[in-house]
Amino acid sequence: MAVLELHQVKKSFGSGHTKVEALKETDFLADRGELVAIIGPSGSGKSTFLTIVGGLLSPTSGDVIINGKNLTSLTEKARSQIRLKEIGFVLQASNLIPFLSVANQLKLLDKVKKGNMSKTERDQLYEDLGIADLLMKYPSDLSGGERQRVAIAKALYSNPSIILADEPTASLDSDRAYEVMELLKTVTKQKNTTTIVVTHDIRLVGYCDKVYKMTDGVLSSAIEKHIKRPQTVFEEKVAYTNH
Amino acid sequence: MFLAWQEIKRNKLRFTLITGILMLVSYLVFFLSGLATGLASLNREAVDKWKASAIILTEESDKSLYQSSMSIDQLKDIKAKKTAVIGQLNAIASNGDNKQNISLFGINKEEFLMPNVTEGRAFDKANEVIADDSLKDKGFKLGDTLSLSSSDQQLTIVGFTDHARFNASPVLYANLATFHQVKFGEAADQKKDQINGIVVKDDPILNMYKNNELDSIEIESFIQSLPGYTEQKLTLNFMIYFLFGISSIIVAIFLYVLTVQKISMFGVMKAQGISSTYLSWSVVAQTFILAFIGTALGFALTLVSGAFLPAAVPVSFDLALMVFYGLILMVVATCGAVFSVLTIVRIDPLKAIGG
Ligand SMILES: Nc1ncnc2c1ncn2[C@@H]1O[C@H](COP(=O)(O)OP(=O)(O)O)[C@@H](O)[C@H]1O
Ligand SMILES: [Mg+2]
Repeated sequence: MAVLELHQVKKSFGSGHTKVEALKETDFLADRGELVAIIGPSGSGKSTFLTIVGGLLSPTSGDVIINGKNLTSLTEKARSQIRLKEIGFVLQASNLIPFLSVANQLKLLDKVKKGNMSKTERDQLYEDLGIADLLMKYPSDLSGGERQRVAIAKALYSNPSIILADEPTASLDSDRAYEVMELLKTVTKQKNTTTIVVTHDIRLVGYCDKVYKMTDGVLSSAIEKHIKRPQTVFEEKVAYTNH
Repeated sequence: MFLAWQEIKRNKLRFTLITGILMLVSYLVFFLSGLATGLASLNREAVDKWKASAIILTEESDKSLYQSSMSIDQLKDIKAKKTAVIGQLNAIASNGDNKQNISLFGINKEEFLMPNVTEGRAFDKANEVIADDSLKDKGFKLGDTLSLSSSDQQLTIVGFTDHARFNASPVLYANLATFHQVKFGEAADQKKDQINGIVVKDDPILNMYKNNELDSIEIESFIQSLPGYTEQKLTLNFMIYFLFGISSIIVAIFLYVLTVQKISMFGVMKAQGISSTYLSWSVVAQTFILAFIGTALGFALTLVSGAFLPAAVPVSFDLALMVFYGLILMVVATCGAVFSVLTIVRIDPLKAIGG
């Protein structure tokens, strides 16, 4: 069974002549251990898609099914519980809580999720993400890449089945961006999560198992990717335009 | 609590500011309440000392002890468990060096108006008085001979009692004969049955007398009618209530500004599935922590500065009342968090994702 299924999901904003069809009728499936990229220009509907998948936004019509549970039929409270337990969000930089140390960012989740991660698991997570040395630091003391690593750690806390990342590399330079993608890829394989990365940055698609293209609210069909990492700008371009 | 406390620890300056404001407001509240208590006891402590339930005065006196005048014979019309007669006048007493407004109580030694003696002895003979010990601060002492403004009579202080001020004047207690001498001079003999009122202990206080010239007044109502008492109390209480309002508004504004600054952060947390309830409680808990620290500091500051006040300042701290006001202050300050809670509840986690 797929971890995530979308059936004929549609989203429009407004009505009449101001009506925007941000997401046209979409079907979508994703499995465990898959790193999926959704690329497309700004305003094409990527964030709309991601927020619907994350249960933050209700579709105008259609069904979103996460691990067999139909999000659209749940109350906001129940959806919030699913976000807490099944979904990890990685957002643009500055999504860390400024007044909490790295250790406390995670401790907060421990408190609201009522501690479903053991100390060994936690230490392992710190090791995996290379943040063990940053625990006492505050977000303002971290570099952009370090911040995103902490953000990914937060997303992974309590082992969600789905990780949703909206432009996770937007505020990073290329090297840091590749690092973060590398990390997301490792994590996806290691923790066997379904990871969806939304971006307008085509350089990142090389890390992903599947790439979808979003154009004016239309999601193109999946393209299997096997290229490890685009080496040159030329290659990247080819990799993107070929499909 | 965790989130609330971590934020306070990390942003010490801004939270010290708001705690400081709360401390000053609570300091003012405690001080005003101390002043209210002090001024009140200045007026009423001699009456409180009676531990009586009512006082019977003439109807036409309009609850004024000084204006009431009746015959001691009227005692027979009163059916209360315990009665005590009282004569009262105001005068200026002088021991040669010092002058002071006093209130003279003429009483029967064996009745319950007789005060406790903390120094010296009780009065035995004519012209002997027990004085309120606040007179000691004014330069009066045991054995002093007092001359009174309205009389040729000379009184001697033979003893002191404590907590005996009536309508802001220290009380001198003497027997009825002495009182009559002071009040009527030559005519004392013809007027020896004249008293101002009868203090009674009984409940209920209804139907204690069968005489329509008399009126029984509950002690609390008698105190409220003391000149200036109610006005003073209302003024000070009004200021205190006003301060409650102010502290609530200050906290509300301050927190609201802080909350608005953190909207996107709250949005991110909500997107991650942290509930509005958790975040709201966190803000409420934070406010409560600040209100608690501020009020506790204000409390301590009040007691410390109270210890250094000159005795002449009529401040007296009623700890139970202060604790009560402190709790009210914490509650109203915490109510100031309500706008922030409303803001948090309305934050759309979607906004956090945008990009
Ligand atoms: N809350 C909203 N109200 C109205 N229009 C919206 C809203 N959110 C998004 N849109 C519109 O939907 C389209 C897709 O937006 P979005 O999903 O944010 O694109 P992307 O993330 O790819 O940049 C855009 O035209 C945007 O203006
Ligand atoms: Mg977007």
